[in-house]
This record gives sequence, structure tokens and C-alpha cells, in this order.
Amino acid sequence: MTILLESRDLNKRFVLGKQNEQHVLKDVDLQIEQGEFVAVMGPSGSGKSTLLYNISGMDRMTSGSVVLDGRELSELSEEALSDVRLTEMGFVFQHIHLLNNLSIFDNIILPAYLARDGNRTKINQRAGELMEKVGIADLADNDITQASGGQLQRVGICRALINEPSIVFGDEPTGALNSKAAGGIMDLLADINRSGTTILLVTHNVKVAARTERVLFMLDGRIVAEKRLGKYDPKGNGRDSKAREEALSSWLLDMGF
Amino acid sequence: MVAKILKKDFSRKTLITIVVFAFILLSALLVASGSNLIMALTSSLDALMETAKAPHFVQMHAGEIDQAEIERWATANNLVETQQTVEMITVDGSTLYLDDTDTAEENSVMDISFVTQNRSFDFLLDLDNRVIQLSPGEVAVPIYYMEQDDLELGDTVRISDEGFERSFRIAAFVRDAQMNPAIVHSKRFLVHADDYGALREHFAETEYLIEFLLTDPGQVDRFSQAYLSSGLPQKGTSVDRTLFKMLNGLSDGIVAGVVIVLSLLLMIIAVLCLRFTILATIEEDTKEIGVMKAIGIGKGDIRRIYLAKYVVMGVLASVAGYLASLPLNPVLSANVMLTMGQAPKGLIEYAVPIVAAGSISLMVFGSCALILRRLNRISAVEALRSRTVGASAKNLPVLKLKKSPLPNVNVFLGFRDVVQRFKLFGLLCFVFFFSAFVIIVPVHFLTTIQSPSFISYMGIGRSDIRIDLRQSEDMDQRFDRMLTTLADDPDVERFSPLVTSQFTMVGSDGAEETINIETGDFSIFPLDYVEGTAPEREDEIALSSLNASEMEKRVGDTLLLIIDGEEREMTVSGIYQDVTHGGRTAKATLPYNPETVLWQAVSLDLTSGSDLDAKVREYSEAFHPARVTDLEGYLGQTLGNTIEQLRLVTVVAIGVGLSVAVLITSLFLTMLISKDASQIAIMRSLGFSLRNIRVQYLTRALVLLGLGIVLGTVFSNTLGQRLVSALWALMGASQIRFVINPIQAYILLPLLLMLAVSITTLISMANIRETNIAEMIVE
Repeated sequence: MTILLESRDLNKRFVLGKQNEQHVLKDVDLQIEQGEFVAVMGPSGSGKSTLLYNISGMDRMTSGSVVLDGRELSELSEEALSDVRLTEMGFVFQHIHLLNNLSIFDNIILPAYLARDGNRTKINQRAGELMEKVGIADLADNDITQASGGQLQRVGICRALINEPSIVFGDEPTGALNSKAAGGIMDLLADINRSGTTILLVTHNVKVAARTERVLFMLDGRIVAEKRLGKYDPKGNGRDSKAREEALSSWLLDMGF
Repeated sequence: MVAKILKKDFSRKTLITIVVFAFILLSALLVASGSNLIMALTSSLDALMETAKAPHFVQMHAGEIDQAEIERWATANNLVETQQTVEMITVDGSTLYLDDTDTAEENSVMDISFVTQNRSFDFLLDLDNRVIQLSPGEVAVPIYYMEQDDLELGDTVRISDEGFERSFRIAAFVRDAQMNPAIVHSKRFLVHADDYGALREHFAETEYLIEFLLTDPGQVDRFSQAYLSSGLPQKGTSVDRTLFKMLNGLSDGIVAGVVIVLSLLLMIIAVLCLRFTILATIEEDTKEIGVMKAIGIGKGDIRRIYLAKYVVMGVLASVAGYLASLPLNPVLSANVMLTMGQAPKGLIEYAVPIVAAGSISLMVFGSCALILRRLNRISAVEALRSRTVGASAKNLPVLKLKKSPLPNVNVFLGFRDVVQRFKLFGLLCFVFFFSAFVIIVPVHFLTTIQSPSFISYMGIGRSDIRIDLRQSEDMDQRFDRMLTTLADDPDVERFSPLVTSQFTMVGSDGAEETINIETGDFSIFPLDYVEGTAPEREDEIALSSLNASEMEKRVGDTLLLIIDGEEREMTVSGIYQDVTHGGRTAKATLPYNPETVLWQAVSLDLTSGSDLDAKVREYSEAFHPARVTDLEGYLGQTLGNTIEQLRLVTVVAIGVGLSVAVLITSLFLTMLISKDASQIAIMRSLGFSLRNIRVQYLTRALVLLGLGIVLGTVFSNTLGQRLVSALWALMGASQIRFVINPIQAYILLPLLLMLAVSITTLISMANIRETNIAEMIVE
């Protein structure tokens, strides 16, 4: 399998004041293969979200290297890095983070219009197809205030996918949703992954992590363990989900989490 | 504790605090300087009038007088305290040489006279406001010439005329309460009695100023009517002390007025900025305010904490503004000090600027107290739960991205945001409108006053050359010879003889009054009329706007003239603007009164290809001692001082307009970017680069600037024009129409503003680089 994203000796230090430094990521080595669905878990303060933002280029690492699809991100200028984020990456956030002055449809097409990826008619068509796929086609002209949390998260997913990125990052994508909505989102993400999109998400939710195929465990700024669960089939029976959750819970318990 | 809060707040928002502080300081500086100028002008003017003992009423007269008759009349009139008649030797400019040059003062618009120091009143003062006393061989020169020709004490003034030569050493410069301003076309040179006698032997032409000091200056109008009905010498204009004061104070008064208006406008902007700042601060601190309320801190106490910051800022900035005005005051009042001198300063002269600056801090305090009432609306629970107290942007049904015609997404987002949050952006739009207005109005006015067409506000039609004949014995013969010569001159395309003579009219109260009427054919060099048209028939008359206003006449009304002992009804055909001769003139086509001719003039146009300067020289020689001037020279000499003042005002206005635009753009954008930080972070997380974000904010700024410039231009051309007209109405030009230089007004000035705003926008956005996307996104 091809390595899509790789980090080597990734370090991140935060300077909090005079002689007060926090070393959040410590020599993190990570490899994500093309088409993988990976979750990062760990206790609060373990550096999960920091890892996500550093390998996606939203934060500048203190030292180390991150290579995405053969390109060293630390060597890129701000403009080039922005372009990579726009065309190669998608983001799904816990609090979704839509632009509050645009409609739902406009929020989805915004990154594509910026990237000028195809003419606008094609972009609009693609957006329509995505909305259809995730089940929110009827919300196109709505404001973001006119949709539920679960619906808005689907909007976030459409926005993340509009430019057909190489990889989608998720930071607690179901964190603000009820269990039913969360389940729906995870099924959606699993489905997207089965279509070939690589996904790396951060979560503290066992049910969410159980639907990924590999789980990395972080502690005190390092990846200390990993568990492979195999591909998850959203159309499979409920016993399969249960078994995966139990296996993962047991493993996490052994980790002390 | 308040000091701690202030210190912490300052370190958190250094730039914003500095900008608002600077703004309040600027406002206080201008209001203190403007009020200081008004105080200086008022007190200096009063002091000059008092020290010089300026007459309350003056009747100019060219011709013979019977002094005994005048004295008899004065003695019999209980309004007269003192009377004196000042004899003036009229000297043609072509015989006068200033400062060792070989160039005479010919073709000067000024009527030059030589006088001796008066005995009773109307004293000519030096630059220390002392009554000038000269020795033989010395001369005191009017300030007008000191400035125009850069003269110094000790320079030479020479009179040379047909074998008569006389040189004088400049021993003083004259402050003349009557004739200081350039717009007054008469100037008095002071000499010793011995020298005066020598001049009198050679120069036969004299004029008189028949002057009165009244027991009750408030009765000057009644006195004026009595004199004009008396049959005493009246071949000339009559003026009073009110007019002296007005003419002396006009240009500096305009400067003071403009400065004060600027200050008030700046104060409005400062208050708007404060409002914006306070509301943004309240929004940021909503949670903290909720916590304070939740733990029991009263709303009054919370308000006091916030108010303390702005009160301290307002007081400090007002004090700093007042102190900064101290070095600026001499610059603004330089002209007053030169032409009128420094009056002793009383307590009120010191107090008024301090009070004015203090009023700024009071306005700051009052505005902040009002705005901070919003704190009352924040409930503890809502504030602790919610993130903001302000209204969020409403989504607009129009301007959807998917239907955007603009190819650039960032330009669209910037433009859309302006439309969507226009209430928020209103401040910046107003500031740009203000900046454009403040810059464009003085520029338009300067262009107008420098334009040859400004001559129409002097009651004169536009022509290449104007020839003025003054009163003399053989004036009629010289005038006829001149007309014959011009008629035969192939270089003359057209010419128009104009004669001003005095007529008697019946006033609204039935009393007889004199009126100066210019007669001729006004169709040759037409004027722009405010209302109506030039007189065509012999029973029609046009009035200057001041005359029309005082007589309460409109177009179509009638007035009665007494011609050859009979009343003739004249219909007012038109009203025009005229700032000369006190603004009180009239025009008619009826035959002039040969008994009371005051002056004669000819306006003429040359054929194309003629050498204007050569013709001016030719006519000066041929028609000597007539005054021959080209249009530009006429305007320059009359309005030179006013134009210089206006240039200064224009430069200051451009500086102020640009400074305001830059300061407020910087303040506003810094705060806006802070407010939009989370949205910016979201966009950056999606892949918007810093350059993309910059384009969005630049678009916002330039859209608002464009709107502000359009509004500023429209208001400048309408309201601005009216404001300027209102100022000049005092002089007789109540309907100024701007002459606009389109390249300057519609291309250069907007480009200048665009450049300033664009640079400021880009600099203000430097902070975005520092924003860490991850820190903004992660919660």
C-alpha cells in the first residue's frame, strides 16, 4: 500500500511564558496509508488535536517532518501550504465551523470556487450530488440556523469533500452530536472511506473509533500503541459493531484509558 | 484597582487605544486652535479699531469740497462727536517704484494715495500698533505691499513722474484700519507734512475721506441716511466701521470657521469610533461582564469600571490636544498678528480655548456614558451561556455565492460582507464620506477662486482686459479718446464702455438715498445672474445681491429713481453677485448722470493671436494714467491674500482628510479583524491564504471608500457649494457655483485616498499572520 501521509520525529513545543515551555508532541512517527481510516485516541492533554493540526499544516511544528503525497509540508510557504489544505485536505470539526453569513450550499461550494476546480456549473452539480449522497439535498437554500446539529455536520462533510481531497481530517466530528446523529455520521464517513478517501480522525469515543480500521493510542505526546480492527462495513450486522467496540474497549482498558 | 484595569486594557489593545486617543487629541487641538483664532481675531480687530480710532462713518469723495459747510453740518448734527476731512494725493502706480526696482506699480488694481498722519482719529499705526510719526524723507508703506514685494525697513520708495523725483526711506509699515485687506482697492502711504507739501505741488489729483466719529455708533445707519440726504460731497462710496471690521476679519474668520467645523466633524467621528470600540469591547467581555453580574457587582459599578478608561483617555487627550494647539496657534493667527497686531490677552482669551478643549472631554464622557447603558441589557445567565451579545449577520436572500457574477471569490465575499453588515461598516463609510467632503470642498473652492470665471462674482463680465479710469477733471475727454482708439484698434474684437455714476433713489421709508449705478451694454460681456437677467430696457435695473437683500427687492419688484427731478419707476430685471465696493452696486442701461460720475471702465476682448501682455503695456502707455489690467492680474491682486489663506486651508484639509481616513481605517480594521478572528481562522483552515484574506478586507475597504467618495463628491458639489456660498454671502456672493477640475476632483484625489486607505488596510492586516489557526479553531 502507498504511504499517503507520514510524519517523522514530529515535535511541538508551546512557549507559555518566560522559562515556561510545554512539550506537547514528542518525536511522533506516523504513517497513514492511502485509503486508510485511522482514529487517534488518548486522554485529555495527550496531544491528539495538536497532532492533527500539526500534520495538517494548521499549526507549525517545532521540529520534524511531515510528508503528504511526497511533499514536505514544513518547507512550503504559507501560500503553498494554504493551497495544499484547499486542494488536498478536507476538515470536519467538532463544532463544524461553517461561515455564518453564507447559506448551506454556499458553505459547501466555497472551497471549490476558491480552488477554481472546474467551472462553476460542474462545482454546483458536484455539491448537489454530495448533498444528495449525505441526505441533505433539501437544505440547499437554507441558512445554517435552519438545520439540526447532525444535518450541519453532514454539511461539514460535504464541504470537506467538495475538492476531492487526498485525506480528510476530523477533530471529534461527532463530539457535539447525540448518539443517533453520531452513528449516522460515522456510517457516512465509513462509506466515504470505502469509496477510497483516506480519513484520519481524533476522538475519545469508543463507538466512533470502533468504526475505523486502525486506532492509535497517544499518551503524553507520543503514540504508544496501535490496534488494527479491519475495515468496518456500515451495512453489516449490529453484532459486528458490538464486537469491535468490546475489543477496542478491552484494549484501551489494558492501556489504562 | 482602576489603574490596574487601565494598564491591563492598554497593554491588550495598545493600537486601538492610541488611535482613539489620537483622534480625541486632534479634535481638541483643532477646537482649541479654532477658538483661539476667533478670540485673537476678535480682540485684535477690536484693539485695532480702538487704537486707530477708526471712524464710524466715511464718505469718499473725488472733487471739490466745502470744508466749512461740512463742519457746519457736523456741528449741527448731534450724532457727530468729531469730524475730520482727510485729503489724499492720488498717485498713479506707474510713477511708484518700490525697493530700488525699475518696475513701477503700474497696472496695479490698487488706488494709491499719499497722506499725512491724522490729528483727531483714523490713525495709521505701525506694526507695534503705535501711531506713526515720520521725519522728512521717510515713508510708511501699507502691509499689502510689504507682503507683496517683500519689503523691509530701510528699503526705498521712489516716485518718478515727468521730471519729478522723490525718494523715501521705509521707516514703518502701515496698519490701516480702513484699507488693510487686499480686497479693498485703496491703499494709503504715509509721509511727513513737508514731503506731502512737495507731492501736493506736483500731483494735482486729490480725493477726500470725509470722516465722522459718532456719539452713538449704533446709530450709524440713521447717520448714513442723514448724510446722504444732506447734499454734502458724495462722489464716492460710503463705508462704516462694521464694514471695516468685516473686511479685515473675513479671510481669517473663514479659516477659523473652517477649523471649528472640522473639529466638530472630527468629534463626531471620534464619538462614532468610541461607540464602535465600546460595543466591540462589551461583546468581547460579555462573559466577564456576566461573571461580574453573577457574583453581585452592580451594573453601576461595572459601568464605572468601563467608563473610567474612557474618561481618563478623554481628559488626557483633551489636555494633550490643548497643549499641542499652543505651537499651532501662532501659525494660524500669523495673518491676524501681522495685519492687526496682538491685543493684550485677558483671562477670557486664555479661558476660551481651554474650555473648548475641555468640552471635547465632556463630549467623550457623555457619549461613553450613553453607550455604556448597553451594559444594562446583559443578563448574567445569557452572558455566561452565549458567546456574543451583538446581533449576528443575517443571511441575505440575494448575493448568493452560487449566483455570483464576480469571478473572484474573495472580492465577492468582501463585497457581500459590506452589504450584509452595513450597519457595522456605517462608521467607516461615514468617515470616508467625511474625508472626501473635507478634501473636495476646499479644493473645489480653490479651483473656483483661481478660475477666470470668478470675475463674475465681482460684478464684472469676463474679458481679456479691463481699463479703469479714476476721477479727474478731464475724465470725460480721456474716456471719449480711449473709446475712439479702441474702436479703431484691429486687435480689439469687442469692447464695452461702462460708467458708474451716483443716482438718487427713493427708499422704502420714503427717504432719498444714493445708489451707485453702472450703465452700459451688459450683453457684450455677460454676467451670470443669480436670478433674472441683465437690464435691457431703460426702465430696468439689476441689483447686487447685498443691495437686493437690504432693499428687500426681488426680480419683478420696482424701485423709484429720481432722474432730472422726476421719479422714474425701474423694474428689477436681475440680481447678481458682487463682492466689490462693499457688495452694493447696481446696473442699468439708462444714460449715466454726467454730474455724478464716479468712475469709468472699459472691458475688452482681443482678437485671437494678439499678445495680451504687449497690449496691456500698450494701453497703459496710451491711456495713462488709466489702470490697465488683464483678468488674471486683476483677480490675483484683489484676491491674492484670500487665495493664499485658502491654499493653506486646502493643504490642512487634505492632511486632515487623509489622516482621518488612515487613522479610522487602521482602528476599524484592527478591531474588525479581531472581531472576525474565528471566521478568518475557519477560512484559513479551509485553505484561504493570507493573500486571499487580504483581498477580502481590501475589497471591503475599497467598496466603502468608493461609496464614501461618491457621497462625498455629491455632497461637496451640493451642500459644500451651499456652505461656501453662505460664507461668501457676507461679502455679496451668495451663490457660488464651483468650477471643478475633473482630473483633480474625480481622478487624483480619489486615487490619493485609495492609496492611503489601501496601504493602511494592508498594514492593519499584519496581525492576521500572527493568528494561529489551530488556536482559534480548537476549543
